Amino acid sequence: MIKLKIVCIALLSLLGQNAFSQTSTITGMVSDAKGAPLPGATIIVSGSTNGTTTDFDGNYSLSNISPSDQLVFSYIGMTTQIVSVGNQTTINVNLQEDAEALDEVVVVGYGTQSRAEVTGAISTVGADELSALPVASADQALQGRAAGVTVLNSGSPGTAPVVRIRGLGTMNNNDPLYVIDGVIAGGLGDLNPNDIESINILKDASTTAIYGSLGSNGVVMVTTKKGRRSGKTTINVDAYTGIQFANQRFDVLNTEQYLAFANDAFGVVPTSPLSASRNDTDFQDALFRTGIMQKVDLGISGGGENSDFRFSAGYMDQEGAIIETGFERFSFRANSNFTVGKFNFGETMSVSFNKQNPERNLGARSLLEHAIKIPPYLPINNPDNLGGFQGPSSGLDGQDAENPIRVQTLGEHINKSAAIIGSLFGELEILKDLKFKSQVGLEYRNSNTNIFRPSYNDDSEGATHSSTFAAITKNSTLRKSITVTNSLNYATTFNDLHNLEVLILAEKQETIDEILNSNSQNPITNELNQVSNEQSFLQSQSFEYNRIGYLGRVNYNFDQKYIFAASLRRDASSRFGSNNRWGTFPSIAVGWNIAQESFLKDSAFNTLKLRGSWGITGNDRIGDYQYSATLLSDFFYPIGGSLATGTTPGGLANPDLKWEETTMKNIGLDFELFNGKLTGAVEYFNNSSDDLLMSRPLPGSLGINSGSVTENVGSVDTKGFEFNLGYNDYEGDFTWSANLNVGTSSNEVKSLGANESLSGGTFEAQDISRIEVGEPLFFFFGYETDGIYQTTAEVDAVLNQTPNDEGEFAVNPGDIRFVDQNIDGQINADDRVKIGNPYPDVTYGLNLDAKYKQLDINLFISGVAGVDVYNTNIYDLEGMPRLFNAGTNVLNRWTGPGTSNSVPRAGGSDQNFNSISDRFVEDGSYTRLKNITLGYTLDNTSFDQYFSKCRIYLSGQNLITLSDYSGLDPEIGNPLTNDGGNRQYELGIDRGNYPQPKSIILGVQLSF
Amino acid sequence: MKKNKIILTILAIIGLTVSCNEDSLELTNPNELSPDTFLQNQTQVQSAVNAVYSNLQTRGLYSRHMFFMMDNMAHENGGNPQLEADKRQYLDFSFDASHGAIGAYWESCYRGINKANFVVENSDKINAILPSVMSDDLKQKAIGEAKFLRALFYFLIVTRYGDAPLITTLPPDDGVGLPKNTSSEIYAQIIKDLQEAIPVLLAKGDEENGRATKGAAQALLGKVYLFLKQYDEALVQFNALSGYELEDNYFDNFMEETEHGVESIFEIEYDDDFGTSAQWNSDRSGQGPNEATFRGQEYGFNDWFNVFPSDDLLNEYEPNDIRFEQTFYINGDTFGPGGSLVVDHFPSNGGGNAGWSKYCNYYKDANEDQTSGINFKYLRYADVLLMMAECESMRTGGSQDVAIGYINQVRERAGLDDLATGMSKDQVFDALVHERKVELAGEQSRFNDIIRWGIATTELAGTNFQAGKHELLPIPQGEIDSNINISSADQNSGY
Repeated sequence: MIKLKIVCIALLSLLGQNAFSQTSTITGMVSDAKGAPLPGATIIVSGSTNGTTTDFDGNYSLSNISPSDQLVFSYIGMTTQIVSVGNQTTINVNLQEDAEALDEVVVVGYGTQSRAEVTGAISTVGADELSALPVASADQALQGRAAGVTVLNSGSPGTAPVVRIRGLGTMNNNDPLYVIDGVIAGGLGDLNPNDIESINILKDASTTAIYGSLGSNGVVMVTTKKGRRSGKTTINVDAYTGIQFANQRFDVLNTEQYLAFANDAFGVVPTSPLSASRNDTDFQDALFRTGIMQKVDLGISGGGENSDFRFSAGYMDQEGAIIETGFERFSFRANSNFTVGKFNFGETMSVSFNKQNPERNLGARSLLEHAIKIPPYLPINNPDNLGGFQGPSSGLDGQDAENPIRVQTLGEHINKSAAIIGSLFGELEILKDLKFKSQVGLEYRNSNTNIFRPSYNDDSEGATHSSTFAAITKNSTLRKSITVTNSLNYATTFNDLHNLEVLILAEKQETIDEILNSNSQNPITNELNQVSNEQSFLQSQSFEYNRIGYLGRVNYNFDQKYIFAASLRRDASSRFGSNNRWGTFPSIAVGWNIAQESFLKDSAFNTLKLRGSWGITGNDRIGDYQYSATLLSDFFYPIGGSLATGTTPGGLANPDLKWEETTMKNIGLDFELFNGKLTGAVEYFNNSSDDLLMSRPLPGSLGINSGSVTENVGSVDTKGFEFNLGYNDYEGDFTWSANLNVGTSSNEVKSLGANESLSGGTFEAQDISRIEVGEPLFFFFGYETDGIYQTTAEVDAVLNQTPNDEGEFAVNPGDIRFVDQNIDGQINADDRVKIGNPYPDVTYGLNLDAKYKQLDINLFISGVAGVDVYNTNIYDLEGMPRLFNAGTNVLNRWTGPGTSNSVPRAGGSDQNFNSISDRFVEDGSYTRLKNITLGYTLDNTSFDQYFSKCRIYLSGQNLITLSDYSGLDPEIGNPLTNDGGNRQYELGIDRGNYPQPKSIILGVQLSF
Repeated sequence: MKKNKIILTILAIIGLTVSCNEDSLELTNPNELSPDTFLQNQTQVQSAVNAVYSNLQTRGLYSRHMFFMMDNMAHENGGNPQLEADKRQYLDFSFDASHGAIGAYWESCYRGINKANFVVENSDKINAILPSVMSDDLKQKAIGEAKFLRALFYFLIVTRYGDAPLITTLPPDDGVGLPKNTSSEIYAQIIKDLQEAIPVLLAKGDEENGRATKGAAQALLGKVYLFLKQYDEALVQFNALSGYELEDNYFDNFMEETEHGVESIFEIEYDDDFGTSAQWNSDRSGQGPNEATFRGQEYGFNDWFNVFPSDDLLNEYEPNDIRFEQTFYINGDTFGPGGSLVVDHFPSNGGGNAGWSKYCNYYKDANEDQTSGINFKYLRYADVLLMMAECESMRTGGSQDVAIGYINQVRERAGLDDLATGMSKDQVFDALVHERKVELAGEQSRFNDIIRWGIATTELAGTNFQAGKHELLPIPQGEIDSNINISSADQNSGY
């Protein structure tokens, strides 16, 4: 009543004023933050009933306005804005999305949920954050954006990153599940990041157990942009152009230093004429370049009363920071939805064409390794040599490093793919609150690898690296995957207090990969890049993978105060033996919205929610047909002048094979204060994975060809904290926000079945990484070092060596001192200890946004801490096993007592370079200015006949990295495969990996 | 009621679309055959046998590491600076149980053994094939080949590792490893397998080149007896050989074009025309086309030139021994197509004064191109003659003059004067040590010889060779880690 009175008085007083003021008509347009018109927005003269709504194009007109009036612009989901009229006659307003309202709906598996009702652990990353970085794949942009998500990027354009949600839970496949618009997908490589509305990362059992046998590693839920119903059709054009470069280098010897080093250290005087040339080539500079990047995206979206649509097309082209690397993509997407009475229909459909030029690594050696090792006096090119390059000749140069420029540029290596990913759904409201939905998802991808390496000869004097034939490889994979999902959903509210939602669902997925691999040689010509019959190898394979599952889920809450959720999924997979084909995956979660309780009714808390969940998830990703024993027929031996084919059993059968199970526990507390200005969450998780599918190495003496058998024997516990804190000052001309997220994860192996240990990640014929009970997965295992033996007395004090007949010892002064852990006077395998942990203890990100009128700025910092990197580059830079070019540190090598305690003598004992030791382990912690953006939105009035919005921005990525790591980049991305073994073991091993480049881009965003 | 019907219909649809297709989960691997339905005809049996041979070609054995391991440990080689660490360790005797290639050698042999067991243990199945589909003789021959190869792989195991698991059955379903057996148990099995193989294998002229022959089994059995110092038994086998003689030209043993000549008894087959795409990743399985060896590329003075013949070896040759120029290149020699290139590569960076010619392609090519198709002569008649000489000299009641006669056959071809008769047993032994060193230089023979003769300490003086340790390789760490029946306590002495 009191309020009403005040309003009346105010009205009266305003009316009175109006009688004496000059009034006018105000016109203008209301649009959203991106400049899209907002039809139906409300404009009211403050304190009056005078008001209107915008038309279909977002335009409005209000008469009888006096200069002293204030106009209130409002729209659902947007922050209300109040503008003083003054002497303006045109008032255009951009409404900002309400931070509180944005979080309202969260995409979860098989549906959406109001944020208030969420009981699980979900991180949401929005479109702006995903498109802030010039990356090819949206998951590359996730690093530092969501607590508990760790992303390891490679610098190689188009190479998928390694994504880990809540750390490592298995020695097997740790990749998360990707779901795009409800359809299970292989990854995000085919998706234009600019087509993504949001990514929700599901982290705990209450959100992932509904994906049953696929949920153990977390789920990345991608929602693509849709049109807006009853909205004006808008056209968005986003474009940028920029450069990327890597200016980090290893300090290596120049020609003068190298020749002196060769002679001093190894007594080698190169005799090739080139060694006398005094030429000085910087092979690293030749390997790196400044690459040009560009991207143009076009989006058209809109909708009618009962339909919406969005079409988009994108083109991106990136030259990598290493020569002859790059990525190019054309992408097209169409999303639309229709409502006809009680029916809803919709589709998403995307087509993309990708082309990648990767870095070429021959013989497991990286380009950087070659660039370090090759003699600097050699020129890159030599027109007299077949192929046009120059390399060393072992006989004359005393070493045999390869010319990295020839490796990377001679011939070509192209990976191409064409993918169609889409879905179609129909939904019928059978009864009030009861909906039946059927969805068909489709993935069709054709991937091709084409490698052509012409004949070459890197030195006419007797090349160490040459080939008399051209080598041609063409591999092709065709993937078809169809997922059919049928569901019934019942959602109702009774007595205005009880909210109930029940989902019953059945799903079937059928995937088939058809592979054709071929290669051949051509000794006659370099002109034909085609596979022929000469020295040819052909192989076709097909892999089928089928899965069916049933899901039941109940969500109930009492007045959004007390929340209960439970789900049960049953899954069966063709990957498992008949004895264990079905698995059951339950989950239960509860939540309490404390802020809804009367005792907090008038407090600063808008939200205070305590929630907890428990459940079981699975992981079936171990490859197809593992349970069956089969024969292999690709053994060959020349017999009687022709090639005889051999056949033998491939491995042991295991009909008991079943999925891995992870029991997940999660407790979280969400809070929001001061009308959404301060938000945050604290989370604790504890996962224990059992029945881990482990490839148990079989004793070599059993002679089984596979070398291993897959069994459900391992257990790993993973636990950690996550923490989010955000501050959002959204009022006034100057708005700013800061968001910090921190995630920790630690894992411990609990059981390996009958195995004592497993190892992998081979370097120079020895394994770096190890798995052992009581230790974290893939920890580095080797010798602890303690400087360098300075004198014979020091050696004798530690080692009990037997001299050979000449009185020589294996280890001498100047050699690395390995710690004799068991003090038996011998250095052997028993002295090896844990020397590092490759998974970061902490991953964090800090995002700062500020906006003043037309100016906006973004700073994004991400980093990891408590992580070790095994830097094999040190082997090349300081190992000095034999003559190669090396780092300048070798000039400070040990040459006598007291000369060095870190760089050993040249050509010394094997253990100086050949044994895995902590000499190569470095702290890989880093803090990186991942992104900095400065944007300016042009004043509407000067452009509004052309654009509704025009923003230009300048941004830089990875410009500053703080780290003690001595290699080129502490973020060790996708591993260089060297042995076809378990790539998981490659975690944190820097083999001269492609460093992440720095980039600078200039972009423009236009709306029409 | 009507609505209920709709609901029921939809529920039925959900159930039907999925559950009726549970058959789709029962898949068979379309890429590979099943063991249950195999060994039904001659081609399949032969294929199972062929697979055993392919393990000789692995990088752990003859494609890469066998020659480095044996020639370096014997110090027939010296190392140039570019020799990689894991191969230099053979020279330095600094390898340990974690050495990758020592593990690959072990597994290459045992995988060959397991493949042979797959044939031998399925004898009943093979014998059940109708004679019209596969003749009984061929069945027995196939099983005999498997037994020969099993014996050969066990011989490679027992000479390098000593005591080791002796497995002659299919692997246990649970994949649990088996304990070590004594080397005498292994030798007994080798002898048994070879004795059973000899009567069923075909003579050299009747068999395809590359397969194990009766003569190969006899010569190998003789060699095994010699290693056991059972000289009389060895001579029985050697004397039973027929149809073999020395090549007129020593170098014919080491050229691709003259393989399977009169002197050849058993060869490790390579032919780079048959594919090399798996050359870099066939460490132990023998899978894929790896039909070339790295021998030429690794040793070749005009290629990687990782090693050179040691001065100790070069100095062993008598002045007029024509084998010197057929085994090595020195400055001024010609090589390459039509001898168009002149050797001027010495001394090498590592101090080598010569390069290997034996098993290199320089007699016809300027470069090796990483792919050599030259076979290794695992057993050739000159070796047999020298082994016969040794048996005759050593056996109780043996004739030194007869022994000298065998040695002289080998010397005559080398253009050398005969040794005089009337030498003492010790003098004959010294002559044998010399003759085997030069005749079989770089043929992975000398290290075994000096070990079994017990003279390694003196012959390898000046190296890191430790008696009581380096006669054997370490049991690979991977085996100790994965085999619950073999522990560190079972490791060979000194490792």
